[in-house]
Amino acid sequence: MYQVLMFDGGVYKVGELYELIEDIGGFVIQKTQIQTQIIITFAIPEEDRPIIDRKTSELGGKIADVPLAGTEIVVVGPTLGRHHMPHPICDIAENLRRYGAITVVMGLARGRGKHTAQISAEEKAIIEEYDAAVFMVGNFRECVEKHKFKLWQDIQIPVVATCGPEFDALPACEALVCGIGRKVERMRRAEEIQKLEEVAQKVQHLIELKRRDTDEDPLFVHPAEIKDRLDEMQAIQDNLRPAPVVLHVNGVRAKLPYEDFADAVSGMEVYGRKLGEVTTITPSRMPGSILIRIKTRSQVEAEDAARTGGEPTAKG
Amino acid sequence: MEILVEGSDQKGAEDYALLFEHILLEMGLTNVLEKVMLLVRPEDPLFVVSVRMRRASGARPIYDVVQLDDKEGGVMLSVTDETYAPRVLALLWKTFGRDRVEQLTRYEIFVSGKDRTDLWDLKIDPEEELRAQVLDAIWKLVPEGLKIRHSFNSENVMTIANTEHGFQPDWLQKAEQLHHSMEAA
Repeated sequence: MYQVLMFDGGVYKVGELYELIEDIGGFVIQKTQIQTQIIITFAIPEEDRPIIDRKTSELGGKIADVPLAGTEIVVVGPTLGRHHMPHPICDIAENLRRYGAITVVMGLARGRGKHTAQISAEEKAIIEEYDAAVFMVGNFRECVEKHKFKLWQDIQIPVVATCGPEFDALPACEALVCGIGRKVERMRRAEEIQKLEEVAQKVQHLIELKRRDTDEDPLFVHPAEIKDRLDEMQAIQDNLRPAPVVLHVNGVRAKLPYEDFADAVSGMEVYGRKLGEVTTITPSRMPGSILIRIKTRSQVEAEDAARTGGEPTAKG
Repeated sequence: MEILVEGSDQKGAEDYALLFEHILLEMGLTNVLEKVMLLVRPEDPLFVVSVRMRRASGARPIYDVVQLDDKEGGVMLSVTDETYAPRVLALLWKTFGRDRVEQLTRYEIFVSGKDRTDLWDLKIDPEEELRAQVLDAIWKLVPEGLKIRHSFNSENVMTIANTEHGFQPDWLQKAEQLHHSMEAA
């Protein structure tokens, strides 16, 4: 399985690190150079970590784990009104970013209230575009256990629920963090920071499970390789939106309008195949974005076999 | 300030009491309130906030915060205490109408057709503004989904009952009782 790491060091001989990453079958996800300092986020097979550690100490740099790099997480609140924003939602999102995730904050149109709280099919579809969701609900026990859990009960991605009252478990969520609830100020006390860490750990655990699950039937191509191809496009280089290509565990979000660029993206080559053959390319529910879901090797083999009418032969 | 909670979800109500304390602290209103009572019944749902305000320090005469000079065609006011500027302007608009009142610069206001004696008796009452601020703090506290509201007001007690769909008669009675008990406190 791939492990995502962050190298922080100087540019001197950094080319050797790039070569090493490539040699062991890893990918560079992001490079940020500030004068002679460089920060590189990259993914490598986890068993090769000692080799990278040795090279890093040879180059005089530091290496850090960024377990959520290459993921996009949505933090959902009942609304974006002043009752729920900004503090708990923003603090959770910010803490997840410290672990390398790209985070998005979302408020539901009619999430507030008890009997009136609801989530629309459109909102569910938007949430399901992400790798995991963190839902934040309030302080009343009766309200959370009898009503609010319905907000996430049909969501098809891993969900971490956070709420004020203490529960052993809540229905339909993969993880639960109690003791957060509503706040009107930043979460900066020791016990609150501990809660934020708890949320980050639960998200990490769910993402790790998702990655291991993906490894059972590996993707035809790693998302970082598609990102490399997309980064070569002029439209991506000219794109002013922050993070124009966002990695997901099993795909990529490219911030380009579907109508204008779907054909160009679909026609890109990867391992001798058209991208459109080895991925599912759809318009994202976020306006102006394309969602690319990578097919698994077995899926591609099965589709090839169905096309040729013979035995599966595809190689990733 | 004393905050008392009552209701079926003690932990939730205590969390809200703490939340209200933080809101008041953030808005600088902790000294304005004498006593707060929260009645929380999430199963109904009913959320009642009752606050008893301290008597605000007396109204200040306008000549305490502005300098008044008679000019040709009217009176010129120079605000000497900046914090009162918006309230002075609002008071002048309310008393003489917008046509007569002209704000020349940030701290200078001209009232046409009047002289100093016409303004001498005007007083700036902080009470009303404080009530508005306390009301704002209550709106921040009350759960967002509880849109149906009923309020009870008296000289220094405000009680606001909130629910989601509609009040049962006994809920409002309960809120009114709470209001009276705060008045008597």
